[in-house]
Amino acid sequence: MPRRDDIHRILVIGSGPVVIGQAAEFDYSGSQACLSLREEGYYVVLLNSNPATIQTDHRIADRVYIEPITVEAVERIIEKENIDAIEPHMGGQTALNLAVKLKKAGILDRYGIKIIGTPVESIELAEDREKFYEFLLKLNEPQPARYKIRRENFEEDIAAIPDRPVIVRTSFSLGGTGGNIARNREALTSMAESIFRSFDVDYVEVNESLEGMKEIEYEVIRDSFGNCITVCNMENIDPMGVHTGESIVVTPSQTLSDIEYQMLRDSAIRIISGLGIQGACNIQFALSEGKYYIIEVNPRTSRSSALASKATGYPIARIAAKIAAGYGLHEIVNPITKNTYAAFEPSLDYVTVKIPRWPFDKFSVDRTIGVQMKSIGEVMGIGRTFEEALMKAMASLDNSFATSIRLRLKDDDLWALIEKPNDRRILAVFEGLFRNFDIKRMSRLSGYDEYFIHKMNNIVKILRNIDLGHIPENLMQLKKIGIPDEIISSFCGIPADEITRYRIEKNIMPVYKRIDTCSGEFEVIVPYMYSTYEDEDEIPDLKNSVMIIGSGPNRIAQGLEFDYGSVKAILALRDMGYKSIMLNSNPETVSTDFDISDALFFEPVTPEYIVNVIVKTSCSGLIVQFSGQTGQNIAKRIEDILGRSIVLGTSTEDIERVEDRTTFSQTLESLHILQPPFAIAENENDTVKKALTLGLPIILRSSHVIGGRSMEIIYDVDYLAERARDVFTVSRNVLVSKYLENAIEMDVDFVSDGSSYSICGVLVHIEEAGVHSGDATMIYGPDVVNKKVRERIERIVESLVKEFRLIGLSNLQIAVRGEDVYVIELNARSSRSLPFISKATGVDWVRLAVECMMGSPLRPMRIEASSYFVKVSVFPFSKFQDMDVVFGPEMKSTGEAMYPGRTLPEALRKSLQKDVRSVLITVRDEDKPRILETARILQEKGITIYATAGTSIYLRDHGIKAQTLYRIRDRREPKILDLLSSGAIDMVINTTEMSTGAVRDGFRIRRLCIMRGVPLIMNINLARAYADSLGDVRLEYREISEYLRVEA
Amino acid sequence: MKRYLITEDGTVIVGSGYGSPVTGYGELVFTTSMTGYLESLTDPSYVGQMLVFASPTISNYELHKGVMESQRVKVSGVITRDAHMELPAGSLGGDFDRFLRDEGIPAIDGVDTRFIVRKIRQGGVLRAYITDNPEAVKDFPDPMNEDLVTKALDSTGIRNIKGNGEERILFIDLGSKKTLRDMMLNHFSLTVASPDSDLDSIDHYDAIFVSNGPGDPQHPSLKPVVEFIRKNLGRKPVFGICFGLQIIALAYGSKTYKMKFGHRGSNHAVSDGRRVFITTHNHGYAVDPDTIGDFHVTERDVNDGTVEMIEDDMMMAVQYHPEASPGPHDTRWFFSEMRRRTDAAKR
Repeated sequence: MPRRDDIHRILVIGSGPVVIGQAAEFDYSGSQACLSLREEGYYVVLLNSNPATIQTDHRIADRVYIEPITVEAVERIIEKENIDAIEPHMGGQTALNLAVKLKKAGILDRYGIKIIGTPVESIELAEDREKFYEFLLKLNEPQPARYKIRRENFEEDIAAIPDRPVIVRTSFSLGGTGGNIARNREALTSMAESIFRSFDVDYVEVNESLEGMKEIEYEVIRDSFGNCITVCNMENIDPMGVHTGESIVVTPSQTLSDIEYQMLRDSAIRIISGLGIQGACNIQFALSEGKYYIIEVNPRTSRSSALASKATGYPIARIAAKIAAGYGLHEIVNPITKNTYAAFEPSLDYVTVKIPRWPFDKFSVDRTIGVQMKSIGEVMGIGRTFEEALMKAMASLDNSFATSIRLRLKDDDLWALIEKPNDRRILAVFEGLFRNFDIKRMSRLSGYDEYFIHKMNNIVKILRNIDLGHIPENLMQLKKIGIPDEIISSFCGIPADEITRYRIEKNIMPVYKRIDTCSGEFEVIVPYMYSTYEDEDEIPDLKNSVMIIGSGPNRIAQGLEFDYGSVKAILALRDMGYKSIMLNSNPETVSTDFDISDALFFEPVTPEYIVNVIVKTSCSGLIVQFSGQTGQNIAKRIEDILGRSIVLGTSTEDIERVEDRTTFSQTLESLHILQPPFAIAENENDTVKKALTLGLPIILRSSHVIGGRSMEIIYDVDYLAERARDVFTVSRNVLVSKYLENAIEMDVDFVSDGSSYSICGVLVHIEEAGVHSGDATMIYGPDVVNKKVRERIERIVESLVKEFRLIGLSNLQIAVRGEDVYVIELNARSSRSLPFISKATGVDWVRLAVECMMGSPLRPMRIEASSYFVKVSVFPFSKFQDMDVVFGPEMKSTGEAMYPGRTLPEALRKSLQKDVRSVLITVRDEDKPRILETARILQEKGITIYATAGTSIYLRDHGIKAQTLYRIRDRREPKILDLLSSGAIDMVINTTEMSTGAVRDGFRIRRLCIMRGVPLIMNINLARAYADSLGDVRLEYREISEYLRVEA
Repeated sequence: MKRYLITEDGTVIVGSGYGSPVTGYGELVFTTSMTGYLESLTDPSYVGQMLVFASPTISNYELHKGVMESQRVKVSGVITRDAHMELPAGSLGGDFDRFLRDEGIPAIDGVDTRFIVRKIRQGGVLRAYITDNPEAVKDFPDPMNEDLVTKALDSTGIRNIKGNGEERILFIDLGSKKTLRDMMLNHFSLTVASPDSDLDSIDHYDAIFVSNGPGDPQHPSLKPVVEFIRKNLGRKPVFGICFGLQIIALAYGSKTYKMKFGHRGSNHAVSDGRRVFITTHNHGYAVDPDTIGDFHVTERDVNDGTVEMIEDDMMMAVQYHPEASPGPHDTRWFFSEMRRRTDAAKR
């Protein structure tokens, strides 16, 4: 069947900002889909509000709209671009929901738009719980039993439910978790009673709980001819009850017999065919003792399909896009072998293990995991055995798991960690093995199949025999099992880098095997590789190529933005005629797409694995600037192991000088560059003393931090003492710096060649200094920085470039008070804001930086903004029940959106994505005078103002009409919480005391805003900016390049 | 314990031995199936061959006797990367190591199996030994010259088995898999006959079926079977799978050839040009497409074009294994289609 010629201009919808449960994997699938469709000659228009994505690049799509993902925006784009088809399966739930909304709004019919790929009817059937239940019933496919407890028939209904664990649901979800578990009838009775007491519902829905069963997923592809294949299956090591995004997952399944494997495969194909899927989808099963249940179907590409694509080498999204274009599976060439077809099922001759990356090193929240996703990213380890894959995955996490697998806890606490799902369960099982805990009991309590624990025991058995004080004689054997040098180091006490050096000397080196989808049965063209310690090496000739390391798992402060840089850098190298090598461990990325680089090494981003590749390939250079803080932290170690320099761009010595807070501050002083007053403290007492000398509030900073960890504004002495103690557990010295109040922070990205520089752009934070630059709302636009400040920034950049011989990209954070410019931080690498500024300026800064790194001189240029671009952060508050919604120097956001406008109000208004007719104002006393102007503007625009008692009186005293609302403790009506719950309030302006302790009052208000999606403005400056954007503001949606032209 | 895998091109691979300490010999082939290790090991089509598992993880779930495709392990040696020895015994009363020892089959673990797979892919199948005594290895005779079918059979002679259908099939057993017979019995009753029996003496059957089996279909020992099929073409419906398809094609006057390294795995796509089926393959020989006789080739392998299904008014055969085991069940319609055609021929 030839490609469809009834469609020409296709709109691909992206997934928007990175949030928990919907992240970089959709940049990967979206980019693949765009490229795949363009390859077929279609004109591809992309909509995504996330500027950090690679898909919002003109190399990926013909036309790019970085605009809100709304019905209104899509309708305008359809008109402007003459769209005749929409591909909504590549942008997660966001895109899928939008497609359904477009259909309901009649827009698809009105414009004659075709949804390509899986039809909307199939999406609805798979997504609507009721319809899907009926559908499975008709197919006679097993699913968890369902019961209802009716209010009027309570006793009888309860009696009819088996006395086993069940999940209790109401017609609305309790706190967004999807349901609560009742372990037995007694618990169920009391839970149901309490629901009927508290809520006005007629019935409670009860589902049989599948907790504890094996959870198995299949990735399925079906074409429009009805041909259906499974790309692979995946086995969750954590049993049912833990979200698959939170589970450790192995591909292919390890403990399923052929009978079980095929039973689930048969069911998957029956269901997917029954649903009429045309493209990719994911189906999840629970399996226990030969019986299975269907959990759900995702009728689109997903996190799992990205993982499956990387685990098998079968590019699901690319193939799904071809299917959407009309092709059959047997007509599509397998892009990895280039001599077989997409109609086959990959066979794997290796094992992959995925481990989620949780933000518990950043957030002090409950570490139990379950049906609600809390992880931000993930890593994948590939090995020839489960042991090897698991150890590589752990090494990739870039947290304490990577350096030690022991847990120093009491036996009882260990058993508790084994039983209750949490991020450290895998470590607890390891530790249990070291303590000879009973394997059967650990298996029973954790739900891990005994097989996996036996395999883990193979690791423990060999580690146990390592002596302290020397490099083990059986090093080769340890490496064959897959144990990283870091872990060996933690047992023998010899530094890991020394072990690595020794290995190279003794030629104890890995070989590289290829991922080929076919277990070696066919010749493979593409070098997609992983290391293992075996006989045959399949590494191609990569001499004189340049290696780029990625940033590992997405986590708070280090995510998609760095992948953008990596991919753009590879493309730049290719254009310049260099061969490129990519090394990364994150399956959710575009950089780990085997099509991007000349050779892909799917390996942990740690010195050991990087050095191995450098030695084996004799590559000529290493780029670390797109690896985030990870690269900065390990660049020096890599060169020390090699005994020579290899890092391109700013040298490792200069990176060290920039990274060391103390040296850096002293250097600034010698350059006569302003910085907040600081002192260096060597211990706890010294810290307190120096802090008091500088005067509170102060900020404590230690070297080598990611996203400002161990950093906080400190207002009171008691807390200062506590924090000083904490800091010295991770650091030898600490920089105590004065917190600049009432200053404006700015982010300056620049490219330089060691002497010349170009400023990419200056992003101005709307919030005062002190809010982490990753969390702040920022503006790029004409005249947002005054001329004097701009000149001072240029002078500072110039002297920093020369002093630190900065080559490539750098990011400077400054605080501006009046016309004084204070340097807060310099990073000699690509930054989080770089993709944003690249999109906002239309300049390929990464290419210019790579050219500098490769030795070309920079031709300085000056870029003037011609439109406004607002960067808005998104936060994971709704996922963490116990986390307060306050901002500070510790970063909390997971992602960002960009909203462009010809005017600032237009840009800001886009970020709201709704009409605002009423605003609640509740601000602390010192902010009251500053809120007046905002309130006046709101009043002029006819917006209803609600305020809490104090604020209300203040506003009325100043001639602004405000309706008073009351807190719970006031025992008066109307209550804030009632109005918020009923949806009567469209926006909340709330400022809190910055000191800890005083933040609890507003907790419930803020939490309710988050849960109900009410815009919450927590900063006076931001409130003022938003006030202008409310009311009658005309919105226009434009191709990104239109914003770059100066309006005539 | 150290054990050696020695191939005819002189390659010596060292691994750790398990299973029986005897020396094993055979044609080295690989399967890319990721599940069903016990089904594969007991598949009679592997007689004369030593099996390399491309999937590194073997014996990763319990051994269960119920899934054996014949009464014994039929490969003459097992080559693995990471066979697991510590699982509970399942219904077989012993772990994997013990099981292979009891079966008298040598095995070697810790081998770079991907290297061997790639070697076979590039150079074709290889003859090889698994041995503890590398000095003893001298010549490499071709196992395909032997009468492998006789070795593959668990029992010989003629026996009647009642199934879920009135129609009776003359089931010529060249080393059939248990699942194949079970699938047939879902639709038919069978008269199972080994190739050495007097096929002409059997009557009262509605159709003929030729099973899977090991080795070269043009082996002299199979001449009488080919001749018997030739006589019955057009008179009774004739069906077959795998080796059976090759025998039937030979009866039409087609030729078969030895493939470079064959198809063995659970992921091979075959297509009629529109529909695609993922099928299980286990064959080292195939029908020469230039010698197609008086029948139609209705399905081919998507990747290399191998003849996968042949049909005529009274004949239907597939090169793949619709009974699967191990592998996908996409083509189990083949059995009901045989039933339909048998019914139609009777009327």
